[in-house]
Amino acid sequence: MAKTVQLNVNGRPHDVSVEPGTRLLYVLRDNLGLHGPKFGCGLSQCGACTVHLDGQPIRSCILPVEAAEDHVVTTLEGLGTIDNPDPLQQAFIDEQAVQCGYCINGMIMTAKALLKTNPQPTREDIKQALDGNLCRCGTHMRIVRAIERAAKAGEAA
Amino acid sequence: MNTRRRDVTDANELTDIGASRRAFLKTSGGLVLGFSLLGPTAAMAMRELPLDTTTDELKDKGPFPSVDPAKLDAWIAIHPDNTATLFTGKVEQGNGSPNALLQMAADELDFPFDDFFVVMGSTTETVDQGPTYGSMAVRYAGPQIQHAAAAGRQVLLTMAGKHFGVPVDKLTANAGVICVTGASDKSITYGKLVGGQRLDVTIGASGETFGMKVAPNAKLKDPSKYTVIGTSVPRKDIPGKTTGQFTYVQDVKVPGMLHGRVVRPYGIQSQLLQVDESGLKDIPGFVQIVREGNFLGVVAETEWGAIQAAQRLGSKLHRKGPNDGLAKWSDWHDLAATDEVWNAVRNAPGKAQSVASRGNVDNALKTAAHTLKATYLTPFETHGSIGPECAIADVGKDKAIVWGGTQMPHQAQRDLAELLDFPENNVEVRWVEAAGQYGRNGLEHVMADAVIMSRAVGRPVRVQWMRWDSHGWDPKEPAIVQELEGGLDENGKVTAWRHHMWVPTMSDTRLLPSELIGKPVGKKNLGHAAIGYEYTFDNADVSSHNESRVGVITAWMRAPGQYETTFAMEAFIDEMAAAAKQDPLEFRLKYLKEPRTIGVLKAAAKHYGWKPRVAFSAGKQGGRKAKGRGIAWVNRDDSLVATIMDVEVDQQTGEILVKRVVVAHDNGLVISPDGMRNQIEGNIIQSMSRTLHEEITFNHAHVTSRDWAGYPILRFHEIPDSIEMVFVNNSPAHKSTGGGEPSTCPTAAVISNAVYDAVGVRLRQKPFRPERVKAAMDKAS
Repeated sequence: MAKTVQLNVNGRPHDVSVEPGTRLLYVLRDNLGLHGPKFGCGLSQCGACTVHLDGQPIRSCILPVEAAEDHVVTTLEGLGTIDNPDPLQQAFIDEQAVQCGYCINGMIMTAKALLKTNPQPTREDIKQALDGNLCRCGTHMRIVRAIERAAKAGEAA
Repeated sequence: MNTRRRDVTDANELTDIGASRRAFLKTSGGLVLGFSLLGPTAAMAMRELPLDTTTDELKDKGPFPSVDPAKLDAWIAIHPDNTATLFTGKVEQGNGSPNALLQMAADELDFPFDDFFVVMGSTTETVDQGPTYGSMAVRYAGPQIQHAAAAGRQVLLTMAGKHFGVPVDKLTANAGVICVTGASDKSITYGKLVGGQRLDVTIGASGETFGMKVAPNAKLKDPSKYTVIGTSVPRKDIPGKTTGQFTYVQDVKVPGMLHGRVVRPYGIQSQLLQVDESGLKDIPGFVQIVREGNFLGVVAETEWGAIQAAQRLGSKLHRKGPNDGLAKWSDWHDLAATDEVWNAVRNAPGKAQSVASRGNVDNALKTAAHTLKATYLTPFETHGSIGPECAIADVGKDKAIVWGGTQMPHQAQRDLAELLDFPENNVEVRWVEAAGQYGRNGLEHVMADAVIMSRAVGRPVRVQWMRWDSHGWDPKEPAIVQELEGGLDENGKVTAWRHHMWVPTMSDTRLLPSELIGKPVGKKNLGHAAIGYEYTFDNADVSSHNESRVGVITAWMRAPGQYETTFAMEAFIDEMAAAAKQDPLEFRLKYLKEPRTIGVLKAAAKHYGWKPRVAFSAGKQGGRKAKGRGIAWVNRDDSLVATIMDVEVDQQTGEILVKRVVVAHDNGLVISPDGMRNQIEGNIIQSMSRTLHEEITFNHAHVTSRDWAGYPILRFHEIPDSIEMVFVNNSPAHKSTGGGEPSTCPTAAVISNAVYDAVGVRLRQKPFRPERVKAAMDKAS
């Protein structure tokens, strides 16, 4: 039977009626209409579904929605918008670090968490942080450059 | 037709634009959807609009209107706010080619790129310019669009001439404004001039798809006047894609939509024997199963409900057997397993094809001072889109609307109409971008899945494949077997060259769901020798054995066949160079005469700083990491590429790391330099991934590499330090050819050659995973 789950997503509370065990990804996408997190594998292998739970990047495709209660969920939409992008999102735009863009949610969300704990990462740090995120178009070089650009901008700020 | 802009402009202003199609759409409730490349401001363009038309509302209407390519308004609309829309049958797949098409149109129309937007692919709104494949968008659709835009500019000048009462030669058009020469107070924007009218002017068109000639009398601009072509304008889709405000086909929601999942057969040819539906009734939101022949799907109110029901029926990562699940399948096991693939390919019936035949190879081999022989093996591969295939279908009594991300929406319209037994124009494909597909993945097939399920339940159904559906059942790049033989005389001159390949079809367009329901749509076709052979050897024989389907459905994947044939040709020429004790670049240049081929090889060598030496001439290197360099080239449909890479081979583990990449790329005039660089980087990284990691594996029933663990791809720790690019012949004197695929082709040969240079071992079977490299090194020592 469906039950009501209380979620805090991108700074707003939501009461959602869902079947217990439903993975957080489907609630975010289908119930809340968010497009940032994507279904890629459902197996926690590719990272396309990455969101933050209390600031930590997690794979929403395997997380039962109940486990997100009492935590702060942030999606790509919570970082910024087209008119007011987060500096990291802006760096991806400046580097044109997108081909099809389906994986980019996971890249930005993972990198955002990296920069929070390590604001001046080396290239090796960046590669290591993103090693669990898959990109099929081969945008890797630009993604790394975008994160380096954002780190540099952060340093200057 | 501009209903998609209703959110950004007063609908009344648009009423007259594209009246015939719009009238239909308007009265049918408005086919509206948030699109990425539309709208004067990006934010507005990203807004998701209600998808409020369903086939229910269309049942009393006639067929969907088609688009007349001979009319200007089939291509271009000018809006009252002085923005404009380009309509093209080509689609975005992450390559950025529609951005390049828009640049070409902007120059010919003399219209600001920033205010110019593109509508792609939808069958009711765009001309069928052929599928978006084969690196052909800019090359073939580009001139069609340039001519339409140039004709549009002429029409606008004529209108302005009437408006101001002056001859056209007294007018100048610039950035969307027309001025009377010498009268600075007399100017008018295109938007004001057109005044919301549709551009209902006949510009002429003949022929079809790639060969279509549009506006034959339009006079194109002098290329020296280009202001947009050749500049790196930012892509319009990227801000939305980095903020979650972009709408992919996976994001589309249709009112009343249900969620479907497929349950594929246990074995490729298994028959569906029995389904126990009663075991699904307790799943919340479960609606029904859809069973038709060997097609099995499940429909539920929620995505999670559909996933759970499909899993109970047997849709899971690894099924234990044909009875694992509530659906029972026959125990079919006639598939060639991984190691049996090569014989299956060699033994398939097919047709012979000769590519090049010169002199007498048999005689030359007999009299050669030194002969070499090698077999090159390349396995089945998957497109591996990060976003599994997804589509939504709404099938009514006599009409269907299908939302899909296919690279060939107009062909999909025809195929789905055939599947449904509907007239072609009773099916509309609304194209919405999907995750990158790199060829014909399952995006057409999932549209058929959705159609079959929607037809059965009488409501719109969204179907998304699970990861194992995509890895397990998307059309594969086929395995290819190649045998090469060469002869050298005592001076190291090539006297004989034989290259024979066995190539299964790369264009099996049979829709899998149509086969499963027993009503096949599409053709199996035969393979072909995809190779650009240019060597000038006196005795040469290049040939192919072209086959139909071998094992599973196989369809084109980025540079289909030619990635593999370039591997064999360019690795074997390296073997010959080494046997002749010659520098691999100088050796190649002795047998090439095409200036553009020589040009890219020399340009790459110059940028790299290539010093002639024989590969592996210094012998085994000390230390753990051995370094090597490799080179190869390709001519892929008149685009020339030469690639050089530096690699490091871990002599303990066999792991290969590519450190530096240099690409010389000659595709003539580069429309969008940064877009091209993005494509080349993508080609290099993806082809490195294919070379180092990728192989589809099989047991006797089905694909066993059904996820990213079983089918690994390149990860961040493996990317090179740099990918450096040189554009050759980048000028209007050289017509633009393609850039979406060519730089994929040389990579496997380059890496194989570089590994030989590093450790003296020839890798002739892809992928070059560490255990295979290690085994080869152990065997050699």
